[in-house]
Amino acid sequence: MNYFIIGFYALVIGASTLAAYYQKRTAFILLFSLTLVSFVMGIVGGEAMLWGVTLLAGLIAFSAGVSYSFREFLIIILPRDASKEMRTAPLTAGFGLFVIFTYTIAGVFAPIIAPYGEAEVISSAFAPADENMLLGADQLGRDMFSRIIYGARNTVGLALLATILAFLMGATAGLYAATKGGKLDQLLGRIVDVIMSIPSLIFSLLLLSIFGTNTVTLIIVIAIIYAPRVFRLARSVGGNVVVMDYIEAAKLRGEGTWYLIRKEILPNSTAPLVAEFGLEFCFVFLLVAGLSFLGLGIQPPTADWGSMVRENATLISFGEMTPLIPAAAIALLTVAVNFVVDWMLYRSSGLKE
Amino acid sequence: MGDILSIIAKRLGLGLITLLVISIIIFFAVELLPGDIAQAVLGQGATEDNLAALRAELGLDRAAPVRYFEWLGNAVTGDFGNSLVSKTSVTEAISARFGNTLFLATYAAVIAVPVAILLGVLVALFRNSVFDRVANVVTLTSISSPEFFLGYILILFLAVKTGMFPAIAKIDDDMTLFDKLNRTFLPALTMVLVVVAHMMRMTRASIINLLSSPYVEMARLKGVPAWKVIVKHTLPNAWAPVINVVALNLAYLITGVVLVEVVAVTKRDFPVVQACCLIFAATFILLNLAADVGSILTNPRLRHPK
Amino acid sequence: MSQDKSVLLKIKNLRIEGYSDEKWIEIVHGVDLTLHRGEVMGLIGESGAGKSTIGLAAMGFTRDGCRISEGSSIEFDGMELTTTPASDLQSLRGARIAYVAQSAAASFNPAHKLIDQHTEAPVQYRIKKRLESQEDAMELYERLRLPNPREIGFRYPHQVSGGQLQRAMTAMAMACRPDLIIFDEPTTALDVTTQIEVLSAIRDIVDQFNTAAIYITHDLAVVAQMADVIKVLLKGDEVEEADTRTMLENPKDDYTKSLWAVRDFKRDQKPRPTEGLPLISVKNVDASYGDTPVLHDVSFDIFEGMTVAVVGESGSGKSTTARCITGLLPPTSGEVLFKGQPLPPDYRNRTKDQLRQAQMIYQMADTALNPKVKICDIIGRPAQFYSGLHGPELKSRVDELLDLIELDPSQYYNRYPPELSGGQKQRIGIARSLAADPTFIICDEVTSALDQLVAEGILRLLDKLQNELNLSYMFITHDLATVRSIADEVVVMQYGKVVEQGPKDEMFKPPHHEYTDLLLSSVPEMDPDWLTTLLEERGVDDIGEAARASKQED
Repeated sequence: MNYFIIGFYALVIGASTLAAYYQKRTAFILLFSLTLVSFVMGIVGGEAMLWGVTLLAGLIAFSAGVSYSFREFLIIILPRDASKEMRTAPLTAGFGLFVIFTYTIAGVFAPIIAPYGEAEVISSAFAPADENMLLGADQLGRDMFSRIIYGARNTVGLALLATILAFLMGATAGLYAATKGGKLDQLLGRIVDVIMSIPSLIFSLLLLSIFGTNTVTLIIVIAIIYAPRVFRLARSVGGNVVVMDYIEAAKLRGEGTWYLIRKEILPNSTAPLVAEFGLEFCFVFLLVAGLSFLGLGIQPPTADWGSMVRENATLISFGEMTPLIPAAAIALLTVAVNFVVDWMLYRSSGLKE
Repeated sequence: MGDILSIIAKRLGLGLITLLVISIIIFFAVELLPGDIAQAVLGQGATEDNLAALRAELGLDRAAPVRYFEWLGNAVTGDFGNSLVSKTSVTEAISARFGNTLFLATYAAVIAVPVAILLGVLVALFRNSVFDRVANVVTLTSISSPEFFLGYILILFLAVKTGMFPAIAKIDDDMTLFDKLNRTFLPALTMVLVVVAHMMRMTRASIINLLSSPYVEMARLKGVPAWKVIVKHTLPNAWAPVINVVALNLAYLITGVVLVEVVAVTKRDFPVVQACCLIFAATFILLNLAADVGSILTNPRLRHPK
Repeated sequence: MSQDKSVLLKIKNLRIEGYSDEKWIEIVHGVDLTLHRGEVMGLIGESGAGKSTIGLAAMGFTRDGCRISEGSSIEFDGMELTTTPASDLQSLRGARIAYVAQSAAASFNPAHKLIDQHTEAPVQYRIKKRLESQEDAMELYERLRLPNPREIGFRYPHQVSGGQLQRAMTAMAMACRPDLIIFDEPTTALDVTTQIEVLSAIRDIVDQFNTAAIYITHDLAVVAQMADVIKVLLKGDEVEEADTRTMLENPKDDYTKSLWAVRDFKRDQKPRPTEGLPLISVKNVDASYGDTPVLHDVSFDIFEGMTVAVVGESGSGKSTTARCITGLLPPTSGEVLFKGQPLPPDYRNRTKDQLRQAQMIYQMADTALNPKVKICDIIGRPAQFYSGLHGPELKSRVDELLDLIELDPSQYYNRYPPELSGGQKQRIGIARSLAADPTFIICDEVTSALDQLVAEGILRLLDKLQNELNLSYMFITHDLATVRSIADEVVVMQYGKVVEQGPKDEMFKPPHHEYTDLLLSSVPEMDPDWLTTLLEERGVDDIGEAARASKQED
């Protein structure tokens, strides 16, 4: 028993008691579960584990603080309608927006932010962090931090382009099929079923090994693989709108298919489609990272998070955190996007009632 | 009952046709290679002799449709030809891995499915409580993280730092079941974490979706206790989406694992890739079919026609 | 059977708040209510009056997003429900206070058999054993005159018809022999001929067990048959309360009087023009959905400037006939003529002018107007599409149309449909059809989703427009009151066939076709003795007779 452990338990127990005394139900449940978890962790893992718990709790508190201030910031600077929406956003969505914002800045201004070039070798392999290198060096002695910044531009940019392409193809075809119905609808539905029953990773592997691995083919292949998912959603969302009487009224007026899609169906399908865009982006992003991790994605020396995980993988058995950093960068972005999407889905479903 | 059987027969037929179309895509995609397979496999530096030898071995001198039917016929009997890299039977190579995968997937599924449904029911029961919100954040995080990230974290903390479980999941037939389970605990846990969140969220969502329906309000107004409202009045009507997501995740479990292994070794080993594609597509279709049948069987309107 | 008349339910100063737009808004403003044992109270009012909310509050229940305010008191048999813990409230529901919902089809769980849902509450409260309760269910089914009372309980909800389900639900409410049952619009979703069976079944069983009831409805004639006392509500406030006969004969409040007066609007019947071809002529039309035939040899004419009402219950094929005329469902045989010229069966083959001539107004204004399009664009689009108007011309046309439907252009020009009330939306729907400058408009149940006063306004507007613009209407409806007020000619349909047709005044005078007779006699009237008299008139083989006989044996 040292002062840290005593202090730690005194703090969590004291805080739980205070919460209970002032009848802060939510706070009490959170704090008391933390106390119970700490007991178990403390017994199993000893002091080190408790430090871990403290660190984690601190990290969560810190992100909550950042999310809160970022949300307040957005409420102030956004125009009135948008800021009213922001007020309803949970902290998780604020966190998501903050992360997305940071990544965008990092991606756009990569050459300015990164201290070294993308492929610049500046020290020995796997050199530890020092005052020049924030996160140490990779397997070739390039600056890890700079490569992560450039990775934001390459990996995210590529995933974004592929998602947009998939969306243009899938949403257009889906809404068209929903409006037209009949044979064409069934045919497109069948094609989509076929493509979707081939596992995406192996299908992209097959296509990439045939057409070669360069950025353009990568984007097209991924878009083809993910367009069917968008098609399905657009088809079902559009299908719900098409049965409305106002569509019948427009058809009986003699309006053409494109008018129906643009003016009548699309405005009523944006909410689920935008949310789907976020989700789809996550899947595409993970697939890009996965392909790169397997050496099929973005090719070296271009910095990319997926391949960075693989290249530094050996360090994991030495208990090093380094390979986890690009992996964490991937995870953080997908989590952030999902937080925002979750909020948007909640809102769009809430508005229906 | 006749209705159900005919629906199922229809789905089965559709599944078979889909599989056939996929086999055509898989086979003829390779034909689109610039040059031919031999050129693609051996690369620019290959001599004419080497190329000719490989072409002869693969029978490229015959027309593509002929080779397709030959390939398909062999595939149906379980023969996928030889690997271009190791020259050994593809079927043997895959089946060994496939066995391991099935073991791992079953292991993960046996833990994941009940846990996910139980947790889903619990969060639906205590919706909007702290428990529900924490669960929401945690599941969302674990769904959106790449699995290698989760895998690495688990390896780092449970194997390397604390040494509770072995990091390398090598198993062979001589091991006892317990040993196998212990050895494969980490990968299985990774998979469980990835799929539980997804299934649990779907269970919660489909239950919550039904909570505003008039028959649930009726049950409440009959004085049925809250847990019974969930278990007896919503769950039986919520199965279809849950079954679908379970099937999707099982397919993911089965295809996910081997893939990572196979892909890493065989970038240009087309027979292996084709075989994997076909087997996994078949698995996928089969599981979807099972999910369809499950949804039909749990739908009282279809089970008890007028 | 004891005839205890003590006070069962006493509600004092009931205030209920609903949560919307991030604040609590009061929706029920201090309502008092006293109900004695064995008494039936009718709660009546238009949508938004708070009837259902009050009904549910009598069970100590509020829907999600609602709460009972401080200071309200709900005393049931000496127990204060607003302070009773949730678990005790739960054991009160079903056992001592039961609920019968509007849509029985949606309120029975599709996954369980009727009888299992019936026995759930009695078994839960250990009032009866499972088998005992099943036996009791069958007996109740018999009393409620359900066919095959010993077997029907073992069916699933989707295997039973709507009227039967509604009776099974009443039986379920009776399962624990409660002191009080809340009926929330139990016959609103039913056809008139089915409604009678359910009404008489409910009335008898409530009588037999001396159960107190709160009967919620918007239909005055229905409540007149069912209630001992009527309470009129308006926007969460009580307007007045009196026993049924006093209330019907001598309403005090102006609002109540206006409700009573609604059925007065009646237009004189116009004769057919003596010369010229009919504007629309439906000739021997057969139609089917897939392999299921739905229309058989339907023929009728609509002359210029006239209103033809097509009447029938659900499934009679009246809306399908409209689909054949508009070309959404091409007939399998027969044809539709416009001024003597056959129209192409499929709307996609019709000319722009043919499409323009025939317009449609829908039942649900909510789904008939695109919620994401501004009013000016909704109305402006047909004018732009058919007449090529744009710029200031288009704007003045839209203003003119808004004036026609009596909405202020400056106020509504830039609004979106969700911001409008039901009646206003229906008016926009009318304006959109007028924008095409048509000669013929199909009105598909245009008033059935609206409150009576609002519906009345719409009918008057349609009548005014017909006179000003010389329009012809095809009026699809199941409501004979609407037919009485606006039609010139009537077409009665049943099972996809035209049963009878002719001028309105002839149709409402005997002799009728058998089905027309049934339909006409089934429409509830404001006379509290109407149901009793009708059931007696319908004779000895009538179902009500048997029940009364069995009651005398008790």
